[in-house]
Amino acid sequence: MQAMVRYILRRFVQFVPVFIGVTLLLFAMRAILPGDPVLMIAGERAISPATYQKIVENNHLDEPLHVQYGYYMSGILQGDFGHSYQKGRSVTSIFADKFPYTARLAVAAIAVEIVIGLTVGIVSAIKKYSFMDMLLTLSTSVLVSMPVFWLGLLLQSFFGIWMKKVTGGAFSLPISGAGGPISAYPDWVHLILPAITLASVSLAVTARIMRSQLLEVLSQDYIRTAYAKGLSKRDVIIKHALKNAMIPVITFIGIDFGSMMSGAILTESVFSWPGVGREIYLAITARDWPIVMGGVVIIVLIVMAINLLIDISYALFDPRIRYGTNRAD
Amino acid sequence: MEKAKMTRRTFVTGAAVAGVSLAGASLLAACKEDKKEEGGGGEVEVDKTGGTFKYYINEPAYIDPYNMQESEGIQVGSQIFDSLLDYDYRTEQLIPAAAASYDINEDATVFTFHLQPGAKFHNGDPVTAADFKRAWERLCNPNIADPPSEISYHLAQVLGYEEMNELETATELEGVVVIDELTLEVTLSDPYADFVYVVTHPALGPVPAAAEDFEAFTEAPIGNGPFMIDGKWEHDQYIRVLRFDDYYGDKPFIDGVDFNIIEEVEVAFNEFLADNLDFTMIPPGRIEDCIADYGSSKDGFVANPGEQTLLGPEISTYYIVINNENEYLSNIKLREAISYAINRQAICEIVFQGVRVPADGIIPPGIAGYRTGVWKTSLYDEEKAIEALAEAGFPEGEGLPVFKLSYNTGGAHQSIMELIQSDLKKIGIETELDSMEWATYLDTLSAGNYHMGRLGWIVDYPIMENFLFPLFYTGNGDNRSFYSNIEADEAILAARGITDNAERIAAYQAVDDIIQSTTPVAPVMFYRHSRVTSVRVNNFYFGPSMIPDLVNTWLTK
Repeated sequence: MQAMVRYILRRFVQFVPVFIGVTLLLFAMRAILPGDPVLMIAGERAISPATYQKIVENNHLDEPLHVQYGYYMSGILQGDFGHSYQKGRSVTSIFADKFPYTARLAVAAIAVEIVIGLTVGIVSAIKKYSFMDMLLTLSTSVLVSMPVFWLGLLLQSFFGIWMKKVTGGAFSLPISGAGGPISAYPDWVHLILPAITLASVSLAVTARIMRSQLLEVLSQDYIRTAYAKGLSKRDVIIKHALKNAMIPVITFIGIDFGSMMSGAILTESVFSWPGVGREIYLAITARDWPIVMGGVVIIVLIVMAINLLIDISYALFDPRIRYGTNRAD
Repeated sequence: MEKAKMTRRTFVTGAAVAGVSLAGASLLAACKEDKKEEGGGGEVEVDKTGGTFKYYINEPAYIDPYNMQESEGIQVGSQIFDSLLDYDYRTEQLIPAAAASYDINEDATVFTFHLQPGAKFHNGDPVTAADFKRAWERLCNPNIADPPSEISYHLAQVLGYEEMNELETATELEGVVVIDELTLEVTLSDPYADFVYVVTHPALGPVPAAAEDFEAFTEAPIGNGPFMIDGKWEHDQYIRVLRFDDYYGDKPFIDGVDFNIIEEVEVAFNEFLADNLDFTMIPPGRIEDCIADYGSSKDGFVANPGEQTLLGPEISTYYIVINNENEYLSNIKLREAISYAINRQAICEIVFQGVRVPADGIIPPGIAGYRTGVWKTSLYDEEKAIEALAEAGFPEGEGLPVFKLSYNTGGAHQSIMELIQSDLKKIGIETELDSMEWATYLDTLSAGNYHMGRLGWIVDYPIMENFLFPLFYTGNGDNRSFYSNIEADEAILAARGITDNAERIAAYQAVDDIIQSTTPVAPVMFYRHSRVTSVRVNNFYFGPSMIPDLVNTWLTK
């Protein structure tokens, strides 16, 4: 146990160089990309020279980049991520609004991915080369190749418009937004279509990895031994095969969860979901650097934390992996 | 002339407007208030009250007057705040809003506004002259927040603006004086008769003392308008406003408006098709379907059941900005050739299904003083283009370099620029398309690092001056063609001081003539609405400035 705590602490220390690396990279990007953030504030209309100068001074934009970096880092250490050039709102309050939505969508999408992806993968592996297997493989191929934006609009047309007209609203689903008092639907219903859309691509990949891993494991000697012991097919698959086949699947789902937590621009756009992906994307196009920097820094921390959790979870599935001890092999 | 309260509704229901006399007298027309809707001769009384109007917008930049500047923020903010005056595009007259009347001195430098008695803010505070002073100083104070307001230019004419906003030697606007609770006196640094139009801008509405808490106020502004915010602005989701029952004017029929914030037009249109929105934008390519399915509004601005598609003109112009400082493009005849060569009708038809219309000048219809076909070089004529090119010294384009046609990616700019490129090629001018991201494009224009580009200009106030001064006065930030003509500059400043409306408009038309004779830019087309309402929406007016009238709108149950 102590070894595990030491391992986790060590991983935490690794956050520091990664964090510095990422912020330096972002500052370098700022220097390279053309586009003056101050001009962007007023858009098509020109900004007055006095206002221009004021914004430059307020944000230290006239200082050398390394001095700006100093200001930024010292701010972060005090919990201050700065404020948006365009909106004037503090970056922390912007992301305090956005991350809960992103997290809700990511959890819902991952749940869809796990339940459907794993079930499809397991069924196709057990019934390999059957009609069912082919049907499932074909449907996952279709899902992988369907553009997210198009799938989203298609689902909206079907569940939001067609079902509403045909069933008089009984089986319809909301088209956009995250709910709240202006919606006729409960909040959780708003998650259904975005979660399915966001999960669609990775769901298909999860199913494929699950299928191939399980097939590989099922052909191993120890599975034959298990059958020879007289275990039922169900026991062999759940207790012996599945546990061993899970590691690559968990790795994939974990990485996918990390990327979903960093926002899903297309899904968020097509469903007007107020998540972080679109916020950061728009901030990049507007050169609103404080939002870009703050968002990316927070995402890096979250992704690193998720990766750590995945690594720890390996130990639960595979007893041979023990962290913080000497390896015998 | 008897002074009486005139409200928005009396105008919308078609009351006659008495003449507006300037200089000294009390200005606002007297009208008898008429609460009954026209038509029908009192046969069936329809209950017009109640219901929530579901309205599509994009995420606004600000809904606080402090920085209210683009269409989305103004659509919401104009419901929450009433400025001193309002403008009725149908009668081309100023109408009272927070001010019941006003006086102007003889040289158009001192404006006295008499506020409506009994008006209240949504928190119950009375609306006084001091609240206007507070609001305007909040705009001009560069240290109140970061970024400082980018729209303090509205008040650049007010005495003491420079000291407060630029030099920071004053903490208040010297020219804004509270005479008493209901009288506000504004002194300008130079004559500017159009200032009464400036104060129609919703960003110049009053703010109560509660605005001191800047962050809370920006998220949930408290105004004096017909609707008040319910809760706060839920970013990227919605803004809900409710009818303000203590409103000084006619109260809205509807209970409230849900401004649904949706980023993609296609998605908003899907919501509309599912009956979840009462008002939305029409995605490209769907206009004909909408006209067939929902009918067209008679005048393009007012929607009623069966007349739901709104295609009325907006007060903005899409134009090709030409770098007048370029060694070739400084040649007036060459600019004329370019402008003559652009087939504007083809652009409007091919790219916009005929919804937008060819521009025949920089000033669009809807602005008082608009004249048909006033910019001669804006009328497509290939032969004249060829002649002008020869007169410029470049017959058939000989001796000209390849010009860059710059534009920002997105929208339909690429298709427009491709058509212009082929038009110019026809007369012998070679160009290459130069597309870039918006941020880079703005840099490029500001630095003057371009030959020709595209821009769209939407006015803040419904006056010719708001095109001529920002776009063509020497050295202005928005004068991106770097046009400079002392004669035009002097004429603009002189026109600003004329207090008689008709004379002033004539003077601006003369300025427009001076400018058009040298073709500093090539106007291409006038923007139009492309919006549609649901069948339950009645008497909804969406004007040329894209400000909706939600007070007179009612919903069929």
